[in-house]
Amino acid sequence: MKVTINKQNEKTLVTLEGRIDTTNADQFQQDIAPLMEDERPNIDIDCSGMTYTSSQGLRVFLLLQKSVVARNGKMVLHNMNPRVKEVFDITGFSNIITII
Amino acid sequence: MIKKRFNPITDKSSEIIAFLMASPDMPNDLDLRFKIELSVEEAVENVVRYAYEGGIGWLEAGTSLDHESLVLTIELRDAGVPFNPLEKADPDVKLSADQRQVGGLGIYLCKKMMDSIEYHYEDGNNVLIMRKIVKDLKK
Repeated sequence: MKVTINKQNEKTLVTLEGRIDTTNADQFQQDIAPLMEDERPNIDIDCSGMTYTSSQGLRVFLLLQKSVVARNGKMVLHNMNPRVKEVFDITGFSNIITII
Repeated sequence: MIKKRFNPITDKSSEIIAFLMASPDMPNDLDLRFKIELSVEEAVENVVRYAYEGGIGWLEAGTSLDHESLVLTIELRDAGVPFNPLEKADPDVKLSADQRQVGGLGIYLCKKMMDSIEYHYEDGNNVLIMRKIVKDLKK
């Protein structure tokens, strides 16, 4: 899993590439920790390169979403692979995280 | 059944998942493989993390394929604390982000991704059996 974070003036652009599974979910959580620091987050995550996530990855997305909501911020995930999208759909995460 | 016993299983999740996914019983179709791998990871993780205190113990993982019905069977067996993961209530997937609990999704994903999942306790072992019809639509 590769996480690229590019902070611009008002928006934070994030690119995810690879798999999030039991071996690297903790690392993923550390990698996205900077996203939990902004006062009023406006996060745009490109998921086109994310090929897999298990519940361990979902857990990190939920923590991030909670932190964004708590700071009245915004977060959008886009270009999600249909297989990965199904995992978000089945678990109801598509209802609580904005996926376009 | 193609099977292998892993002992000890501490930090062995990836190895166990790789063993199962490399089985010749597994389909080639990528959509099916995705669903099966996800279920395998969740089920194996459950045993590796929680079955044994301190993680010291064994797990036997196996696959079989019925070539007539094209039903793939994945079996996990351990001698850890008796635990039926299917008794756990499903998470409420309609809650909002701040109401949702972090975690508890693993077995729920197995139930949704596989065609059937059953548990029994037998001779001091937890036995989890997951099945998936692997009719390869793209063939």
